[in-house]
Amino acid sequence: MRSCLTVLFAVLGIAIAAPAPAHHAFAAEFDAKKPIKLRGTIAKMEWINPHTWIHIDVKQPNGKVERWMIEGGPPNALYRRGFTRDSLPLGIEIVVEGFRAKDGSMRGNGRDLTFPDGRKLFLGSSGTGAPVDGKDGKDR
Amino acid sequence: MTYRSVVLVLTLAAAAGIAAFALASAAAPKSTGAPAADAHGWAVPRTAWGDPDFQGVWRYEAVIALERPARFAGREFLTDAEIAQTERVEQDQEAKRLDGVEGEAVGRQSVAASPIRGNEYNSFWQDHGRPRRVYKQTSLITDPRDGRIPYTPDARQAEARAAARYGVGPYESYLDPDTGERCLTDGVTGMMWQGPNGGHNQIVQSPGYVTILHEEYRDRRIIPVDGRAHSNVRQWFGDSVGRWEGDTLVVDTTNFLDKTHYEWASTWTRTSETLHLVERFRRVDADTLEYRITAEDPATFVRPWTAVIPISRLQDGTKIYEYACHEGNYAMPNLLSGARAEAKKAAPVRRSLGSEGGSR
Repeated sequence: MRSCLTVLFAVLGIAIAAPAPAHHAFAAEFDAKKPIKLRGTIAKMEWINPHTWIHIDVKQPNGKVERWMIEGGPPNALYRRGFTRDSLPLGIEIVVEGFRAKDGSMRGNGRDLTFPDGRKLFLGSSGTGAPVDGKDGKDR
Repeated sequence: MTYRSVVLVLTLAAAAGIAAFALASAAAPKSTGAPAADAHGWAVPRTAWGDPDFQGVWRYEAVIALERPARFAGREFLTDAEIAQTERVEQDQEAKRLDGVEGEAVGRQSVAASPIRGNEYNSFWQDHGRPRRVYKQTSLITDPRDGRIPYTPDARQAEARAAARYGVGPYESYLDPDTGERCLTDGVTGMMWQGPNGGHNQIVQSPGYVTILHEEYRDRRIIPVDGRAHSNVRQWFGDSVGRWEGDTLVVDTTNFLDKTHYEWASTWTRTSETLHLVERFRRVDADTLEYRITAEDPATFVRPWTAVIPISRLQDGTKIYEYACHEGNYAMPNLLSGARAEAKKAAPVRRSLGSEGGSR
């Protein structure tokens, strides 16, 4: 099905179009050649414009803890999707996949955000809980 | 009714609306004024003081390229089969989004296959709300007939330069990123139908005025509709005066402030001093605003061009939120430090030769 859709996108030229022109160019800030996957606990959540930033503490194999900053969507969009101030409480563990900052600092953009058990955050309809679908394996 | 049912109903409603809008577009109504009521008994609502009522929150939800893609050359409309296919894709994507299969949702490819441009964020980070609407047009631009922006040769070169440097730089100072990255604005030309971080527009009317608040950058326009002439003050958003032609709101804007030396993500959104912008707002059904924009500027275009843009009315109670862009624009220091890091990687030899003189 996926390959069929890819063909459709190619034929119809929909959806996979030029990047949206704002707010900022991904490539200016992040390195597409440096994918990251981080598991850490939330230390701070910044609900700020134009993008939210999630600070997570990531424990290294040697026991040292690194504090990473992860860029998220704008607060207005997250709120419209049912995201509230209580949705990412301090101390909970999340897994973030995304791309590292070009300057090599411990910053990145967050493309996918899941709980360790695989649950996606805030998908599905409100009140039903996010589904555990197990389908994402093919998407990596 | 479950959310999924709501989505299905909205999808069907959108599909039903396609034909109506396509017909309305194809008829190219230059005329103004609409019949008192359409075949379904709907008539343009009026404010208490008798003007056509555009009040509410609106958002562009269609999937139409501004310029006609090459594969549609010579064709102004999709075939019925293409429309059906596009609708299936949109519905499939929406189902994936709701099912939590993020990679393919909203048209973004997997991380592994990422060409990155356009694949930076999945739907978790962006609010697409409901399924996007499918219309018959192959481009928003309807004039010229080829659906392409009639750039002057110089402007075409500027567009190529802008595309090449977007996300790449050089970023020597905070003045180098594009106006949007600087939290200024993406310009008035695309305000009604662009804004990935907040494309909502709230229209509020009062006697003699139409006010539009755009979420991203919190851009706003207070447009007098009282017959006054243009002022002679140049501004980023120009000087807008409105008038009613039947049920159509016509907004004429001149006196733009020339900031063309700034970087803009798209050249057509730049505003030179010779830009003359005419916007026509017309409700074609209860949920669709036909937004027709004509840009004329000899500094940028060899002839005027017109785009016809369907904008959807969002449900009552939809709110516009703040967008205090400078509050935490970490992107600015991040992209400047990213550029410094890249320069350092690229020029180790120069430094070792001690040729760093002539600092900026």
